Amino acid sequence: MANRSAYDVIVVGGGHNGLIAAAYLGRAGLRTLVLERRHLVGGAAVTEEIYPGFKYSVASYVVSLLRPEIIRDLDLSRHGLEILPLESTITPLRNGDYLGRWADHDKTRRELYRHSPRDAEAYDDFGTLMYQLAWAVKPILGMVPPDPLSLSPRDLKTMLRLGKHVRDLGEKQFHALYKLMTMSSADFLDEWFEFEPLKATMSASGIIGTFLGPRSPGTAYVLLHHYMGEIDGVFRAWGMAKGGTGAVSESIASAAREHGAEIRLESTVDRVIVKGRKAVGVGLENGDEIYARTIVSGVDPKRTFLELLDSGDLPGDFLDAIRRFRIRGSSGKVNLSLSELPEFTCLPGRGPHHRGAISISPDIEYLERAYDDAKYGEFSRHPYMDIIIPSMIDPGMAPPGRHVMSIFVQYAPFDLNGGWDDAKREAFGDAVVDTLSIYAPNLKESILHRQVMTPMDMQEVLGLTEGNIFHGELSLHQLFFYRPAPEWSNYRTPVRGFYQCGSGTHPGGGVCGASGRLAALEILKDLRR
Amino acid sequence: MTTRGTGSVGSEPYDAIVIGAGVNGLVTASYLARSGRRTIVLERTDEPGGCAATEELWPGFRVDVGAHEMAALDRRAVADLHLDRAGLEIVRPDPAVVSLQPGGGALALYRDAARTADAIRPFSRRDAARWPAFADAMGRAARALGILYETTPPRAAGASRKDLWELVRLGAKLGRVGRADAVELMRLLPMTIGELLDEWFESDAVTGVLAARGCHGICQGPMAAGTALVFLHGMVGGSRLPLSTRWVRGGMAGLGAVLATAARDFGAKILTDATVGRITVRDHAVRGVVLESGEEIAGDLVASSADPRRTFLGLVDPGHLDPDFVRQVRNIRYRGACAKVHLALDGLPDFGSENGNAASFCVAPSLRYVERAYDDAKYGAPSREPHLRAVIPTVLDPTLAPQGRHVMSVLVQYAPYDLRDGEWDDGARDVVGDTALRTLAGCAPGLADRVVHSHVLSPADLEARFGLTEGSINHGEVMLDQVFIGRPVPGWARYETPIRGLYSCGAGSHPGGGLTGSPGVNAARRILAS
Repeated sequence: MANRSAYDVIVVGGGHNGLIAAAYLGRAGLRTLVLERRHLVGGAAVTEEIYPGFKYSVASYVVSLLRPEIIRDLDLSRHGLEILPLESTITPLRNGDYLGRWADHDKTRRELYRHSPRDAEAYDDFGTLMYQLAWAVKPILGMVPPDPLSLSPRDLKTMLRLGKHVRDLGEKQFHALYKLMTMSSADFLDEWFEFEPLKATMSASGIIGTFLGPRSPGTAYVLLHHYMGEIDGVFRAWGMAKGGTGAVSESIASAAREHGAEIRLESTVDRVIVKGRKAVGVGLENGDEIYARTIVSGVDPKRTFLELLDSGDLPGDFLDAIRRFRIRGSSGKVNLSLSELPEFTCLPGRGPHHRGAISISPDIEYLERAYDDAKYGEFSRHPYMDIIIPSMIDPGMAPPGRHVMSIFVQYAPFDLNGGWDDAKREAFGDAVVDTLSIYAPNLKESILHRQVMTPMDMQEVLGLTEGNIFHGELSLHQLFFYRPAPEWSNYRTPVRGFYQCGSGTHPGGGVCGASGRLAALEILKDLRR
Repeated sequence: MTTRGTGSVGSEPYDAIVIGAGVNGLVTASYLARSGRRTIVLERTDEPGGCAATEELWPGFRVDVGAHEMAALDRRAVADLHLDRAGLEIVRPDPAVVSLQPGGGALALYRDAARTADAIRPFSRRDAARWPAFADAMGRAARALGILYETTPPRAAGASRKDLWELVRLGAKLGRVGRADAVELMRLLPMTIGELLDEWFESDAVTGVLAARGCHGICQGPMAAGTALVFLHGMVGGSRLPLSTRWVRGGMAGLGAVLATAARDFGAKILTDATVGRITVRDHAVRGVVLESGEEIAGDLVASSADPRRTFLGLVDPGHLDPDFVRQVRNIRYRGACAKVHLALDGLPDFGSENGNAASFCVAPSLRYVERAYDDAKYGAPSREPHLRAVIPTVLDPTLAPQGRHVMSVLVQYAPYDLRDGEWDDGARDVVGDTALRTLAGCAPGLADRVVHSHVLSPADLEARFGLTEGSINHGEVMLDQVFIGRPVPGWARYETPIRGLYSCGAGSHPGGGLTGSPGVNAARRILAS
């Protein structure tokens, strides 16, 4: 019990949100301890050298959403964060052609014009609308959700602020926002564009991390995320951290340490110790107990409430809400070490497209069929893929002349028929490589190493329940004051002194860090009282 | 007597012109006439009722060729228009639905929750135990939704003081059912019916029949967000039973007849065989209508119960409309997904001994079954194994067929309006008819031998016959973005239109279809208030 008074706050989980919370709490002068299960910080935002010389951003692979206020507050650039822009998004087509969208606006326009003059015209208007809507949504994302059931002055004030915000939006924007929140990405884009590969590639960003197809309502909202990064003017929409996504976590960890936080690796928290309905400490797997007056969980809601706590410590209604919280994983990740660059049939030779994203999304039907497989419990035979070649952006990611390729793959259901095993994992990897080889025939022979992460692996290795990359599906009924449960979306929990700061809280997934920051600010409010 | 044809419009001008004598058109007309306005209803076909239509398809066999079921009539219309005294006889089958299982067996869902639980028990004890609580929870959600349905959607963006007052009043009304119910309703609406059911049930038989209700009339499967809304939509105003169904004794046309009588009793005139060719507009205000016969009827108040595409793109010269509004109307999704199959039977098929007296059936043995049926439609083909919703009204109402004989009316889903290959010709119709029959026969052996006549209406036929754009039975899909403040289009959900004096009062307006008359009531109230 020597530790009893050593810490004010214990953060469970050293993912980016846990680290951000720790950094903010440390900065406020609280003695903060972060306990991380693995041998490195970052959670799903890690870079690992699985094969000598080849560095993989094992799970999360691009950065676009990290809140600029966090970068500023924690001075992350000084702590080594450097974002390298992605030049383009290329969609190879089955007829040997391609659709390219480039950082250079005029080039994109010319390219779109080549496929559809109408779409080229609509593209700018669409961008303007999304830009405006991103502005409209931004304050909501930065808001602690009110409890609509509560009549407390604080909640009423927030509801009023929300109401005023909506009122001030102006009718046109409000209606567009309403449609965006409720429509399918395919239907939403159908109203603007005609060229299938364009619609498919854009709508693909609406399905990432969901268990829905592009024709399912509720997917349009996620389209906005692409534009969120852009409005902050700190860096471009899509980028990769120098050194891989792990470098983001390392820079936050460095900031947290500078603010006095202690980060302990290979320390698995087993349970949260509750005494008299108040959290007082944590118990580790090795039997150690560490005490603090505030405990914060950065792990997902299922683990936080169903595993770390005893069900007797939580009200029945709340437990029901957490049990029904949907967290189906739907994606996998394949990382490759390559002896040479893939050569795309549609763009022969080495080119700027190798420094951007490559999207395997030739048309909406392709994505829907990929989804159909998953609906019935199989991985997609021809999946949607979002690919980058990190070694082309940061040469340090692979030995000279060699390359690493990061492939985000959807769909791969956690509940695979018959369950995941080694053979299924390899079959999944083969489906990815085979499909990609259609567009880049030299790929297969150039593979030196292959790492396949199934949703089951994401759960086992990274601690993501059911392999869900967002700590809970980003569907409408799991957003804002429903995330993760009504009445408990303000980072507090039914157990006094116990808080949540992971992506399972508002505003949710992606490496954006808002949950960690907002949680820390709420904790500080409570402690000052 | 309904006035037929032209030449009897009369010389005196009308205060109000209602386009379409469907349920909503007649309700609106009744309210307008009741308020003392000289009102005329213009109906394209030879009979009022719209989709509530009964036709003698074969001598002695009277078939509901449009809707063969209805939701509960709006309670305000029933009271205000004295419909309870109009002699309308509603049939409520019990069991409300018998869900036929392939290869025999069936799950009967009764009006009584305890009895339903008994019926569910052989499929799952857990589901049986949960049924009463589920029925109660859905009933509460539907009651909260009902409050929204009786309200003109308020203006949120750019709200004036008056709009804010409306919002506050709506909030207070919702508060009265309990804020917890209201918050729960908001959680339920955007869910998929699959997710909703997953919170309650485990057996395929139970989830299948409920999931199918979540997809009624839309071209989406039970795994699409917003299907929980469609499920609740069918419950609003009705009993607490999640699967209630009802129809009119003597045929659904009786509904049209009763409403037409009510309208006339209040002084409205109904002109049949009078197709409106266009709505005349001058200085952004409506001036009347011109019939296809060339006859002009003047009036500075026109309420259209035709669907939004017909009204704004068919009847109004687009030159009078803002291009942005026109674009929005063009973007309304209709996507008819149903065909109808009508059968004359020389005896009752064998649905199992326990269900000998059942009159309402469905084929939706599992959620996956319904989703797979949708998969076909998603790629532009009729379902190879469709979800069916069928009634044999003659079990409870023998007057509809010759002695000992029966009629069966089947809603087949999915049959997409836009076929990828080919058109809705006789061949395509036959495919849908044969598939429906084969599917039914798989559950009720011997059915095929009982069929003496059959008749198929494709989505294209529904469009031609009932004026339903793309065969959409709800005048536009009831999906999240197309309900409440989004119906018919965002910004114009309050029954007014960009043209002064022109109102929309059909199912294309909030709160949508189902033969409830609610859009008609809401529109009439709005018109009378302005």
